[in-house]
Amino acid sequence: MKIHRWLFVVLALFIGIGAGIVYGWIIDPVDFFNLTPDTLRADFKADYVLMVAEAYHSHRDPGLSARQLAIFGSQSPTSIASQGWTYARANQFAEPDLALIQELVTALQAWSGIP
Amino acid sequence: MSRFPWGVFLALLLGFGAGLAYAWVISPLQVVDAVPSALRDDFKDQYRSAIAAAYAGAGNIERAQARLALLGDTNSIEALNAQAQRLLANGEFQSADQVVLLSAALQGNGIALVPPPSTPSMQLADIQPSLPPSTLSPIPTSPTQEIFTSTPEVTPTQTFAVAATPRPTQTPIPTIGVSFKLIAQESLCDSNLPDGLLQVLVLNSNRRQMPGMGIRITWETNEDRFFTGLKPELGNGYADFLMTPNIAYSVQLAQGSDVASGLIAPACQTSSGEHYSGGFKLTFQQPK
Repeated sequence: MKIHRWLFVVLALFIGIGAGIVYGWIIDPVDFFNLTPDTLRADFKADYVLMVAEAYHSHRDPGLSARQLAIFGSQSPTSIASQGWTYARANQFAEPDLALIQELVTALQAWSGIP
Repeated sequence: MSRFPWGVFLALLLGFGAGLAYAWVISPLQVVDAVPSALRDDFKDQYRSAIAAAYAGAGNIERAQARLALLGDTNSIEALNAQAQRLLANGEFQSADQVVLLSAALQGNGIALVPPPSTPSMQLADIQPSLPPSTLSPIPTSPTQEIFTSTPEVTPTQTFAVAATPRPTQTPIPTIGVSFKLIAQESLCDSNLPDGLLQVLVLNSNRRQMPGMGIRITWETNEDRFFTGLKPELGNGYADFLMTPNIAYSVQLAQGSDVASGLIAPACQTSSGEHYSGGFKLTFQQPK
């Protein structure tokens, strides 16, 4: 009898842990705020790169564009722009938008000296 | 009568608490797919600046609106105006100009960016035969290889893509066309106002106040600029500047207007004989 009782207690403990994890991860996960741009979803990152490309098409200053892209952290601006271009191409961004991002990537490559 | 299974109940509670602690504290979900509204305020500012810069470059107001909506601001225009003030305070005039331009565009005032004359009959397919074969080949999927090695090919691709699809002009073109007129210039002696207060009011052709209008002020070898609409409690087309006594200022709207020059804060006197610096009130209006 006593063994059965402890079995129920242990079983209840595990059920409780499982329920707690489900609640904490799925039903009511931790709310995040004050995040950094490197945590942005890939489509938002690509759109940010597109914004920088649209601006670059006007001001033609790769240094300024590099500073704008620097908010994504330790990656090089060229690499960030390239990733944006890859995402944009894979997700069928409009042709003019792709051209703008490509223009930015090229300019950043020339500016940074990375072939 | 059976007893309540307290042991099981307590174990369940204990387990639930332990699971919650694990899920919320020890190993919370990692953020990998954040949305812009969850960004820290300073990064939101940068995001907003990028939106404004993109708008200044491409002139796509719908796209700018959609992007601003991602930031979850209660009022995008107020957020832009507040950011413009912060940028001005930091001396980032170009960025402030772009933010104010976007704010004005969202309110349907100020400068509108218009696309260049379109070439509707010209489609990408029409010009593709004239492209070199290399520009039409699909770009490989590896970004590091293909982008870096395809640099010489990029230029022709861009040229044709841009030519085939009309893009908004790079240069802001005022829809108004005609420079603003200085319709009133009053010197003010009001001891209730701050000393040397220069007030500017900008109106459109229907005498409605226009926010987001840049005002350039110069004196001696210095120059500064300020904007209407940053003190909405005094009017959307209102802006002010504090003049230093005995210095002559010239004022005009950044996008073109008559120049109010030789503005020196007038010497005023209260009824009790105290001296103070008066100010000016300038009113600019868009011609019909």
